[in-house]
Amino acid sequence: MSRSKQFFSRWQNWIGLLLVLGYAGVAVFAPYLSPHDPAKPGPFLQVGKVFLGEPQPPDEKALLGMLPFGIDVYHALVWGSRDALLFGLIVTISTSLFGVLYGSISGFAENRLGSLMLRVTDAFLAFPPLAGVVFLQQLFISSIGAMGGYMFDGQIYTFSGTPLGVTPIQVLLERIDPLMLSLIVFSWMPYARLIHAIVLTLKQTEFVQAAHALGGGPFWIIRKHLLRNSVGPAIVLAARDIGGVVLLQATLTFIQIGGGSVWGEMLAQGRNWIIGPGGSVLRYWWVFLPPTIAVMLFGITWNLIGDGLNDALESTSQRGFGRRPFWRRKAQVAESPVQPTLEAGHAARRPHRTRESIL
Amino acid sequence: MPPFLQFVIRRFLVIPVSLLIITMILYGGVMLTPPEARATLYYPPKMNPNMTEEQMLHFQEMIIKRYHLRDPFIVQYGYWVGSLLDGSWGYSPTMNQDVLPALLQQTPITVELALYSLLFLIPLGLVSGVMSGWRRSSVFDRLFRGTAFLSTSTPSFILALVLLSVFYVQLDWFAPGRISFRYSMEISEETFTKLTGMLTIDSLLNGRLDIFWDACKHLAMPVFTLSLYHWATLGRIARTSMIDERGKEYIVSARARGLPERRVVWRHAFQNMLSPALTSIALSATSIITGVFVVEIIFNFNGVSRVILSAMSGVPDAPAALGFAVYSVLMVLILMFVLDILQAILDPRIREGMLTS
Repeated sequence: MSRSKQFFSRWQNWIGLLLVLGYAGVAVFAPYLSPHDPAKPGPFLQVGKVFLGEPQPPDEKALLGMLPFGIDVYHALVWGSRDALLFGLIVTISTSLFGVLYGSISGFAENRLGSLMLRVTDAFLAFPPLAGVVFLQQLFISSIGAMGGYMFDGQIYTFSGTPLGVTPIQVLLERIDPLMLSLIVFSWMPYARLIHAIVLTLKQTEFVQAAHALGGGPFWIIRKHLLRNSVGPAIVLAARDIGGVVLLQATLTFIQIGGGSVWGEMLAQGRNWIIGPGGSVLRYWWVFLPPTIAVMLFGITWNLIGDGLNDALESTSQRGFGRRPFWRRKAQVAESPVQPTLEAGHAARRPHRTRESIL
Repeated sequence: MPPFLQFVIRRFLVIPVSLLIITMILYGGVMLTPPEARATLYYPPKMNPNMTEEQMLHFQEMIIKRYHLRDPFIVQYGYWVGSLLDGSWGYSPTMNQDVLPALLQQTPITVELALYSLLFLIPLGLVSGVMSGWRRSSVFDRLFRGTAFLSTSTPSFILALVLLSVFYVQLDWFAPGRISFRYSMEISEETFTKLTGMLTIDSLLNGRLDIFWDACKHLAMPVFTLSLYHWATLGRIARTSMIDERGKEYIVSARARGLPERRVVWRHAFQNMLSPALTSIALSATSIITGVFVVEIIFNFNGVSRVILSAMSGVPDAPAALGFAVYSVLMVLILMFVLDILQAILDPRIREGMLTS
């Protein structure tokens, strides 16, 4: 069975794919689904009266009701999916690219460089992204403060009125979302470790030895042989990460530690009506349910895709192990090396395609 | 030297190396700020608020000279590490306290929360993973996979909102915070001796069952929220490694010898799948620590997260942020170390140095 065929043979993968397309569609067509107010663009659109503290139930003005102070739930939901998808893709693509490159180099380098690179990876593994957010945010605030300025609402002001001589790096630090930066800097390690382990086993295979013997340079071998045979598990990891990253962003936004997740912000605005005195998940359901479903479904979607890809990339021999008749089972085992799954940590995969490309 | 001791020492030496690399990177970040901002790291606790601008500048210059803040990276880094080793990690203006004492004072509270969660999730995760992996596609397996899938897709704050709404607002069984208001005065008095700083243990040592019960009621929701996600991840990993072990020949041979099913699972297969499962839990130590702080903030548990909140209040407070970063790295490293030792105790192959984790 080919890999794509195997992927589409399970209904869960169909659901995952449809949901991804749904989110992508909403993200792309957000301006048509819920146009911005030209005067005040942004995910939070005021449709009701500002002084209305109590969330209003759905009516013809707001399809899914309003958050406190007359903010449209539907509009925020639609534009939130654009933000979430963008955030997840940017973070995951940059971390996975960097991690895969790093891991392949560290796995390929035999000497001290390889072990030093592995040490650095392990050191980074000990750094929680939350501390990174706190640290980066503070870095900027204190450098502004030391120069006699202060920050308010994302803008830099000075007490004296003279413009601050901010260095380009500081401007960058202010522009970029500290959460995004710290997630990129502090979450590439799983990819590096995964690829490192795969490359270590691949290095001993005959086709890499043959490439060596042909006089191939290190980067040619990495690019042509090692990367092509090791990206599969990294893609699985990346698919799951997209959901995880967005979930983390929503969580940190909810507790006001930075990150600009619209869905998290919606729940933060409505939290007093859910867990305040007399509040309930059911009473003001339109405050709680839409963003909750959006966030959870987003996580579920990417988990489904990740699981589906994992099963499709795993060898067929392992999948149907128990159900196969024993004579075929034996032949399968003898033919392919043992292939632990992604969860088992050290993945070793059978080389494919590359054998032809050498000859 | 026995191999186990060798393993412990070798594993312990990883901590200073990782710490060195991480602090160098952190200080590299600090280097992006101007020297005047770096000087705030060394400000003393009691600054005269009536200093003139000129005096302030002079004072700043003095600090910059003393800690060589205009010198190359390595020199500055050396002075900073020196100040970490024998200092109070700087004075935090927002907490009105030195950073290190503030962190240490809150540590038992966080440790209590993390400890109960780990005690809860590791056995449960392993057992449910083993059971569902052993009987693949059984009803239990399907149930477990569904629950685990849902749990990994639920962000902690949404679970917390639901729990708070149901068990606090509606039913009033559990409550956020650390202790009820009526006990909060009592535990801060002299008569209540604090040995560990963990309320559940201290109250038992003081013979106050009512306070113990109250502390448990406040711990229930955060512990559950914290455990659920990691229970699911650990269980899924345990399940896959169990499926791997199941097909191996030693299982077939154990069965052929007529061993009872229970013994095959728990004495043979279980011991072999422990290693990968615990490795994965050690690797997610960062997410456990991040999770602890997040859950603390959501449930108003007021542990180490107090330092985060003051560092995030928008006021320049570099010592708190930097101190928290170093502290949390240290916490993660210790947690990883403990989990690795646990793994070595349980898995003789690692203990004898035959496998490197």
